[in-house]
Amino acid sequence: MRYRLLLIGWLLTDLAVFIGSYAAAYFLRVGWILSTDFPFEPYITVVAITSPLWLIVLITTRTFALTRSQSSFRNLAYIIYSSLVGTALFALGYYFLFGLFFSRMLLLYALVISTIAIWIWHLLYSKFQRMRLRADPPVFPTVIVGVTRESRELIKKLNKGSNPLKPVAVLDGRGCKDTEIDGVPVRGKLNKLEDVLSEGVTHLIQCSDLEQSLNLLSACRQNKITYMLLPSVLGIVERDEKVESLEGQPVTMVGPKENPLMWFFK
Amino acid sequence: MHAFILAGGFATRLWPLTEKRAKPLLPLAGIPLIEYLVRDIPEDVPVTISTNATFKEAFEDWAEGFGRSNVEILIEDVKSDDQKLGALGATAQWITDAQIDDDVLLLTGDNYCGFSFDAFLKAATPDTTLIAVHDIGDLEKAKAFGTVIVENAQRVSAFEEKPKSPKTTLVNTGCSLLPKSTLPFLVEYAKEHPDNVGGIFEELLHKGKQIECFRFTEPWFDIGSFDAYIEATKELVGGAVITEEGARFERSKHNGSVVIGSQSQVIDSDLTDVVIFENCVIEDCVLSNCVLDKGCKLKGIDLTGKMLREGTILT
Repeated sequence: MRYRLLLIGWLLTDLAVFIGSYAAAYFLRVGWILSTDFPFEPYITVVAITSPLWLIVLITTRTFALTRSQSSFRNLAYIIYSSLVGTALFALGYYFLFGLFFSRMLLLYALVISTIAIWIWHLLYSKFQRMRLRADPPVFPTVIVGVTRESRELIKKLNKGSNPLKPVAVLDGRGCKDTEIDGVPVRGKLNKLEDVLSEGVTHLIQCSDLEQSLNLLSACRQNKITYMLLPSVLGIVERDEKVESLEGQPVTMVGPKENPLMWFFK
Repeated sequence: MHAFILAGGFATRLWPLTEKRAKPLLPLAGIPLIEYLVRDIPEDVPVTISTNATFKEAFEDWAEGFGRSNVEILIEDVKSDDQKLGALGATAQWITDAQIDDDVLLLTGDNYCGFSFDAFLKAATPDTTLIAVHDIGDLEKAKAFGTVIVENAQRVSAFEEKPKSPKTTLVNTGCSLLPKSTLPFLVEYAKEHPDNVGGIFEELLHKGKQIECFRFTEPWFDIGSFDAYIEATKELVGGAVITEEGARFERSKHNGSVVIGSQSQVIDSDLTDVVIFENCVIEDCVLSNCVLDKGCKLKGIDLTGKMLREGTILT
């Protein structure tokens, strides 16, 4: 419930920021007056009509996904792309409704301001959202399976970045001497899995114990828990692996090192 | 004499088969492991099985179904590994609480012993500790057990629990007869070493008590891991297919040992050394060296060397 409210709040405030950005672009271009040559009311009406369509485009980029880091370049690229589509939709909408185009500079202002405003708002809101989602009791308590160098780093990163997935327990198939890792209790071996999962865990990240993948996945399915797997468990330590599709069959792909532009074609 | 069977472990290495089941209750060729032990203990010897609260009901159900009147289930009131009394600690507590003043046949519940307990007990010398030993023929494997140095064919001269450099491949098999005169030493030793069952034999030797060994060549398995479980199944089942009540094995091929639990169905599949527990449905699968817990449903899957937890669905 807490997550849904936060998400609805995020979507609504995004609409407000989008509309506000276009209003700012108007006043920046026209001046701090309500012009009779280029009236504000039809302008902002079209912006209001366009904004849900723009939001749908933004949603399809998965920018609101739990796993998305708002500060990443990839996310910024998606926001720029959505803003471009938003501007295009606005221009088209205005033309369809009123049969005329207007200042190209205003469109440029709207594009730049909406992009920057949305990105800054996303950075701020995601920080607030992460804080709220991790507040006790956490909304997405996560169990880490496997104590390895990489899982230790992962736990530290999740905690340091206040990721919504809050590690609450660590299990290890072979047992582990540590009693806690970065403040997260090591609960024991996999025989404790049922107990841990019954405590309301929402995510499980497998970091070792490859031979138990099927059983961990099965436990997750039975308990409606999201299962995640570090590629290193499969021996993939390349750091540029991707999940692709071959005729609809998912495959994990690690390409040879080459010109990054070839990524678009291979 | 009184038999005491240690069955309080949580068997983490056999997870997920032991997720909801004590290791001694794992079916081996269709029969719970502990049943092989209990049915071979002379009828007039009372049997106490020590387990923990997690598996209480399962053991009580099994004992009721087994139908031997002098089997008692003793519950160690713990729910996890870190609260355990320790195997020797549990034995000592039972000796103290039940005021045992008799010889004790001490057995570990996760062992399969191919020899007859009658022969073992007949080999005992009065007031002398007797342990059953087996030559596992591999020094590397011996590191995981208590090794036994024997002189004059039968007398134990040294005992080393899980040695780093074993001097022999003769190992203790978790079956021993402790005369009542040794019980005070056991209770005392358990205070400091509640987990070290094998250590009591070192202690007895240290105290000048005589220990003899009973060598056997029949099969013996310490069912501590997936591989050991599969190996024991192969030994007991051979190249056969065991189908329990209501099980179906149709249009399928098999190699090696296959056990199909009650009400399970195997259709259009190829199985090699596979144990399937009850109520599973396997269709169009190729399985090799696998153990499937109850209620698994697999369709169009190839698997090798896997233990699947209860209710796994792969379709």
